[in-house]
Amino acid sequence: MPLSTPKATILLQAAVKYLEEELMPTLTGYHRFKTRVTANVLNTVRRELELRGAQAFAERKRLGALLGHDGEVEELSRELAQKIRDGAVALDDPKLRGHISQSLHDALAINNPKWFDR
Amino acid sequence: MSNDSTATLLHRAIARHMGAPGTVYDLQQLTGGANRTTWSFDADVGGSRQRLIMQLSAAAPDDVPHPLAEISPHPTAEEGAWLMMAAVKAGVPAPKIRAILETSDGLGPGYITERVDGETLAPKILREAAFAPARAKMTHQAGEILARIHSIPLSEVPFLKGQTAEEMIDAQRKVVDFYDLHLPAIEWGLKWAADNVPTQARRTVVHGDFRIGNMIVGENDGIRLVLDWEIGQASDPMQDLGWLCVKTWRFGGKNPVGGFGRREDLFAAYEKAGGQRVDPAHVRFWEAFGSVKWAAGCLRLGMRGVEEMGVERCAIGRRIEEPLWDFYELLEGRD
Repeated sequence: MPLSTPKATILLQAAVKYLEEELMPTLTGYHRFKTRVTANVLNTVRRELELRGAQAFAERKRLGALLGHDGEVEELSRELAQKIRDGAVALDDPKLRGHISQSLHDALAINNPKWFDR
Repeated sequence: MSNDSTATLLHRAIARHMGAPGTVYDLQQLTGGANRTTWSFDADVGGSRQRLIMQLSAAAPDDVPHPLAEISPHPTAEEGAWLMMAAVKAGVPAPKIRAILETSDGLGPGYITERVDGETLAPKILREAAFAPARAKMTHQAGEILARIHSIPLSEVPFLKGQTAEEMIDAQRKVVDFYDLHLPAIEWGLKWAADNVPTQARRTVVHGDFRIGNMIVGENDGIRLVLDWEIGQASDPMQDLGWLCVKTWRFGGKNPVGGFGRREDLFAAYEKAGGQRVDPAHVRFWEAFGSVKWAAGCLRLGMRGVEEMGVERCAIGRRIEEPLWDFYELLEGRD
């Protein structure tokens, strides 16, 4: 990330504000819908920039504890996914359930935080 | 194909299959996609103005088909039309087929049905006051309609391909592997499904996508028409009951059946209309697995979004955790 300002998250916030407050009211039908989707996608990117760093740090620690060794989140997730498919870990293992639930919660906090409001 | 040339070809096809003069009015494309388009139009046939719908499928591709195309069995457009005719015969409110297109029509595979007015959008059906009378009827109607669909003799639709629950689970794993996704949550759901496959499943006609969005609803009369028969299969009938209860297909509605009804009312209506006795745990399997299956669907749609660089489908890819969260909650006894 360059040292210049504003930060990427602020740029995205400003772009979304333009789309939602200025552009969308002038649109109907197809383009209004597509602009809504575009603003949602930009908000997802913004939340990912804000939240993912801390999430990935914690996720790596959880995965390390589950698998008994350290590694990158992607590699560790690949290993865990394979173990689950092979039946090498019990589905009702509390540590596994805790990890699944926390990872889903984290991803939804980025992709669609409104999912928890239902 | 331009609208004009579609109209010209359609005029000729109507005159040929349904009767002269076949003049076409007000041709509008309702939905589009790479594989399938829906058109609305009116036509003069034998002195009366008829209100019609045309469904077109893409002709068989000359290039290499998508590697995942055969993962879930689909009837062809023509077979879909035969399935709808068999459904109508069994008393199901399916679209009434008026013509099946032929190669010489030049429009590609497809068919023409009667057009029925009404609402398909979930927010209106589930939340608008005007649809309260419909909501009060829909659970009962859904049970009855599903019992009738499941009563269609398989001998009338011998072309329907079947998939067992095990084969469906395997198909979702193939999707995950094809896109090289390593998501512990989806593997957890697929493994749960593999460990909990119902032991006693019948094999009947199933609709495969019976939910709000695929039905036309009237404010006072409820379900008027059941659409989208193109993933019809010969499979476990409880799949259709479970799918209607999948949380995604409640569209934010509070009630478990499609957002509008109670499970016990759906099951009672289904049994009363001649469906087999319903084991709620069996339906529950299909509801739970339905969420996992829809997660794999989000992956497929999202990756199609990447292929076409389309923002709408790309955004669906990022919805994969929503049904997986619902699945987790269901297993924890919260739903």
